[in-house]
Amino acid sequence: MLPMFDLESQKQRGMMYRRIRDFFDGRGYLEIFTPTLSPTLIPEPTIQDFETRFVNEFVGDRDFYLIPSPEIFMKEVLACGSPSVYQISQCFRNSEQLGCIHNPEFTMLEYYTLGFDEKDSIALTRQLIDALLMDDCPSFMKEDFLVMSVNEAMIRWAGTDLEEHQDRRRLARRAEELGQSPAPDEAWDDIFNRIFITYVEPELPRDRIVVLTDYPYQIDCLAQRRPGTPWRSRWEMYIAGIEVANCYSEETDVEVTKAYYEKEYARLVSQRAGTGLPIPDVSDRFPTIEVPPSSGVAIGLDRLLMCLTGRKDIRDVLLFPFDRLMRE
Amino acid sequence: MIKAGQIDKGTALLIKGQPFICIEREFVNPGKGSAFVRLKLKSPSTGQVLSETMKSQDNAEDITVEDRDIQYLYNDGTNFSFMNVETFDQMEVPMANFPDYEYFMKEGETYRATFWEDQLLDILIPAKIVFTVAEAEEAVKGDTVQGATKYVTTETGLRVRVPIFIKQGEKIRVNTETKEYLERVNK
Repeated sequence: MLPMFDLESQKQRGMMYRRIRDFFDGRGYLEIFTPTLSPTLIPEPTIQDFETRFVNEFVGDRDFYLIPSPEIFMKEVLACGSPSVYQISQCFRNSEQLGCIHNPEFTMLEYYTLGFDEKDSIALTRQLIDALLMDDCPSFMKEDFLVMSVNEAMIRWAGTDLEEHQDRRRLARRAEELGQSPAPDEAWDDIFNRIFITYVEPELPRDRIVVLTDYPYQIDCLAQRRPGTPWRSRWEMYIAGIEVANCYSEETDVEVTKAYYEKEYARLVSQRAGTGLPIPDVSDRFPTIEVPPSSGVAIGLDRLLMCLTGRKDIRDVLLFPFDRLMRE
Repeated sequence: MIKAGQIDKGTALLIKGQPFICIEREFVNPGKGSAFVRLKLKSPSTGQVLSETMKSQDNAEDITVEDRDIQYLYNDGTNFSFMNVETFDQMEVPMANFPDYEYFMKEGETYRATFWEDQLLDILIPAKIVFTVAEAEEAVKGDTVQGATKYVTTETGLRVRVPIFIKQGEKIRVNTETKEYLERVNK
């Protein structure tokens, strides 16, 4: 029997891409097209990559990686004086579980807006989603965003005020009180994620799109620190309980960025030592990019398409989901 | 020991010395941070449900369980009585641990059950069961939306909404998960 394909989802995907392009082109953004195969990577201990090798008898062999995100290339373009940019690209994360919201190859929309802060980029993203609404889209997608800080959410659903639990041991005790079993030497960010994933994420309202702002600074990333607070200028968007977008007010300080890469790379090496997991050989080529003040948003488009069309499984918006490829 | 990432629905685990069965498992990869599994675990002995989140790389203590055949004897309103069909040993299990099972198990029938040592963790109930209608109400008129239906009670005491043509003594097939009537069974 011939395989069945849901061609309706393809029409909807095409329409979504066209509307995204209209939306950003109309606002003066430049669409850019950067490589999927990269000789370098932002070190991320928790992301495993797809590695491959360029083989050439004249110029020599070299390891390459399928990009987990187009971030470094896009920032490089932005740093060279481009206008605000956007890109729709295929991204790859190895070793993640297959399931109704994960596929190792997925489509990401990234847009970097010069001079925007957190509030501006939330408003822009609302307008973008409005522009993408389809006829049979679930009605809650049209409601105003519920914007709240991570700490407000932690207080409401986990009874835990992070301002009072900045100390690692204190947060670990709180996790135990709640019934969790963090490891004795577990880092603050892992304990936080344990509590957040168990008590907060499942409770996030589903009758509206939720935007969580002000992430703990202990979750190391390239979002700027909010001076005088324990937070970073970062937000995430949840639709029907699914994490769909992530935004940073991008770090502009080259030294801070470099120190971050080195720290993350050291963490990656120490976590993978002896596990047999591959360690990407990129330590001598971290890009030093002077990113202009900007807000960078990454949206998982397969997940967004699911939400826009009321589908419950990422495999329903992919013609060849990964588990199907595994069977072939 | 197994890695938390390998836990699946039905995996039996020892948590703080107590056996639990995983009833729900979901992978969570935060945008930044380690991969976790979010688990719902149920204690077969108390019915308690735990929400537990573990890192995929954490170790979990899995326990070896075995399947045995047990015959359902009766219940006294508080406990179920079963007999191990190989050893003829009898055992009592609080009914509260297996809510509604009294409606699905028939006295004298044999069921596949999961044990950890001597503790009964799970009883396998077929997804569809044929029951005999023990009592049938008169049909109630007026429910035009769902078609004409009425309630009947099976030999095990389960109340099921059925089409009005079902009579006492007839056999019906029921979905045990939704407790809904599926079809009349003609011998």
